[in-house]
Amino acid sequence: MSAETLPGVSEFPWRRWAAPFAWFSALAGLLIVMPHLGPLFAAIDPEAREPIYRRDAFVDLLTNHLLLVAVASTIAIVCGVSAAIMVTRPWGRDFLPLVSQLASIGQTFPPVAVLALAVPWLGFGGLPTVVALVLYGLLPIVRNTLVGIGEVDPATREAARGMGMSPSQVLFQLELPLAAPIILAGIRTSVTVGIATAAIGSTIGAKTLGDPIIAGIINGNTAYILQGAILIGVLALSIDSVFARLLPSRH
Amino acid sequence: MTEQVRIELKNVSKRFGGDTAVDDLSLAIATGELCVLVGTSGCGKSTTLRMINRLIEHSDGEIHIDGQPIREINEQALRRRIGYAIQSTGLFPHWTVARNIGLVPRLLKWPAERIEKRTRELMALLGLKESEFNGKYPHQLSGGQAQRVGVARALAADPDILLMDEPFGALDPITREALQDELLRLQARLSKTIVFVTHDMEEALKLADRIVVMNRGQIVQQGSPKELLSAPADAFVESLLGGRDRGLKQAGLIRVRDVMHPTGARRQTTAAAVGADDDLRQALSVMLLHRLSSLTVVDERDRTVGTLGVDDIMQRKSVPADKTDKVQTSLEASDDATDAPGTDARKGDAVDADAADNDTAPATPQERRDER
Repeated sequence: MSAETLPGVSEFPWRRWAAPFAWFSALAGLLIVMPHLGPLFAAIDPEAREPIYRRDAFVDLLTNHLLLVAVASTIAIVCGVSAAIMVTRPWGRDFLPLVSQLASIGQTFPPVAVLALAVPWLGFGGLPTVVALVLYGLLPIVRNTLVGIGEVDPATREAARGMGMSPSQVLFQLELPLAAPIILAGIRTSVTVGIATAAIGSTIGAKTLGDPIIAGIINGNTAYILQGAILIGVLALSIDSVFARLLPSRH
Repeated sequence: MTEQVRIELKNVSKRFGGDTAVDDLSLAIATGELCVLVGTSGCGKSTTLRMINRLIEHSDGEIHIDGQPIREINEQALRRRIGYAIQSTGLFPHWTVARNIGLVPRLLKWPAERIEKRTRELMALLGLKESEFNGKYPHQLSGGQAQRVGVARALAADPDILLMDEPFGALDPITREALQDELLRLQARLSKTIVFVTHDMEEALKLADRIVVMNRGQIVQQGSPKELLSAPADAFVESLLGGRDRGLKQAGLIRVRDVMHPTGARRQTTAAAVGADDDLRQALSVMLLHRLSSLTVVDERDRTVGTLGVDDIMQRKSVPADKTDKVQTSLEASDDATDAPGTDARKGDAVDADAADNDTAPATPQERRDER
């Protein structure tokens, strides 16, 4: 992700990765500068007793926020893509309506409601947040994988079988490569929405960038709300800019 | 069963739910034969073809390849030794032309160098300039070029059997004709056992050693193009053959050279000319166009070699007396005792697949048939 760690830096396509680089620099800059912006936030919200959120370091909140999203997205990607692959196989076709319906329900269900329902079983903290994020993030991934595989020309699939490709060769050499851009677009939507949604985990005790926002609402401290919102926004845009580069530009 | 029968279908049926797509069909296809299945859509010809490489499993009966029941062969292994070309080509859109052609050899785990060499060979064989097409993607090809790649891909692992499902059906008439000629040229060199499905009787007449007419899942009639044209089994076959156009189609199977009067004979030269290797249908067309009852016949270098009159066409032996069973004819091809120059040429080319041999290979189906 970061340019410095890649080998052959001289050949690294700087121009292509300029936007993600700029966004991540901005994010890092904000993390460093934010704690020293007391006077600025005091000016924005003069009534606040303490203009900068200091219960946790922003870096810790961001790290934990990202961790929650990463865990949830990984689960959603693995489950979503494999479920979609399964129901497009001849033996799983019967489950196609069921899976697409379940994924839709997962998204229509508000994450806050999922949290409220999950707490009695899973307690407070990160776990129920991850569950809510997984449920919420499944639909775009399932739907896009289904569309991507569905868009493979049946004649091409037929030819592949007729040439003597095994079902797994058809999947890995034909269907998934052709569906990849569409699947990646689904993952992009899912992850970006997940970053924004993870903030509500703060309402049930998960440590996220939502903490300053919740604290700000409770204490009537606009400065806190702004600090949390800005960081979440810049984080979402940074990650999104990486996906924008990963998606192949149409040739 | 003799060893020369390559594909044999014995009382084969296919039912989809309650519908019978193929009904108790028996067919033996000889080694080196180009067998064309013709019929209207839904007659079961495509189903029959796809049962041979097990894309569709037959419900009843037995299908043998080289004497072995195909159910005993692993389906992927079976398909890798049978070439398969379809109308929409089914090329992989994310693979280059070269990679598409090398698909089956890669499945068979050939070494990379051998695949590369074979791909080059096939591109040359199909008239695809390597430098131009190697790295192209399917969407950059014209319909005809894509179909050439499709045929090259089908031939890549040098299969003995080639299944072709309306491969030229979506092409414009000129490209289609060019590819039909190409297929005949290839077949003259490679002598594959080809099962070709089409709904176009014209195409069948042009390509086939044997035509199998199907209707409602059954064989209505089978035989050489000449046999079909001279004695259609029923009204259905006759309508497929074009009804009143049948006479012209029959004339299309006979070469001017075989009917004309060689030069020095009685008639004078005329204004319009026809080639000695053209067929009688073309000769009649030239006559109609120029309102002539007699034509000069010229060879490929425009030298007068004879004359052709309307009465020569009318008085030719009413039916091309080719009553030989086509299976038999093809079987003779593997027999050294045969003296048919056409089949000899085909055998020779199959052994020494070199472009130079093209000169000895008959260029058109008419020639091939007549030389037998």
